[in-house]
Amino acid sequence: MADERPGQILAALGGADNVVEIEGCITRLRCELEDGSVVDEAALKQAGAHGVMKSGAVVQVVVGPEADAIAEDIQDLL
Amino acid sequence: MTGAARVVCSPVGGTVTALADVPDPVFSQAMVGPGIAVEPRDGHADAVSPIDGTLTTVHAHAFVVAGDDGAAVLVHLGIDTVKQQGEGFTLHVVKGERVRAGQPVVGWDPAAVRAAGYAPIVPVIALDAQQEALRAAETGTEVAVGDELLTWND
Repeated sequence: MADERPGQILAALGGADNVVEIEGCITRLRCELEDGSVVDEAALKQAGAHGVMKSGAVVQVVVGPEADAIAEDIQDLL
Repeated sequence: MTGAARVVCSPVGGTVTALADVPDPVFSQAMVGPGIAVEPRDGHADAVSPIDGTLTTVHAHAFVVAGDDGAAVLVHLGIDTVKQQGEGFTLHVVKGERVRAGQPVVGWDPAAVRAAGYAPIVPVIALDAQQEALRAAETGTEVAVGDELLTWND
């Protein structure tokens, strides 16, 4: 079954062109972006994020224990 | 599992600390589940598995063990320690391996983590559990590695 979350999350982060680096860390995606201001927090939450922490161009998206798998799927979309 | 409570053992020895005091909102706001934290004693030691089960996620600084009933426990060795990229952590296991409660998983030294500028506190999270389902050891008390830390009812 196709999981739509990786695509939705990537779109909410501003798309592949906006992603410098993305890494799964147990419960969260650590994302380094070109431009942190375009992140759509509501869309991230709709895609299943429990929380979003922004610090400039670094955004952490808390997605739960599947973070590593989701990060790999997003890597495949980049 | 019905009836009996799962026992979650302490992965490290130290002082039982409220999750709310962990300096990371993912844990302090219980975004991935409720639990408890342990402020570890300094000195090189092995962090052990809190339950019998299978290692579903293994990083140098954190791991998840899922019991046969699907209940999973996350152990995170320090805060932001992903940035240490494994330095100072010695893995004794691989992803997918079966472990017993009390089995050594990662060797590390909380003092070295602190010296590197990170908080060595160890959140122990009952993933996707309800807060009411957990009973935790009293904050401020000392636990030895392998001591009962949480009981988890459904």
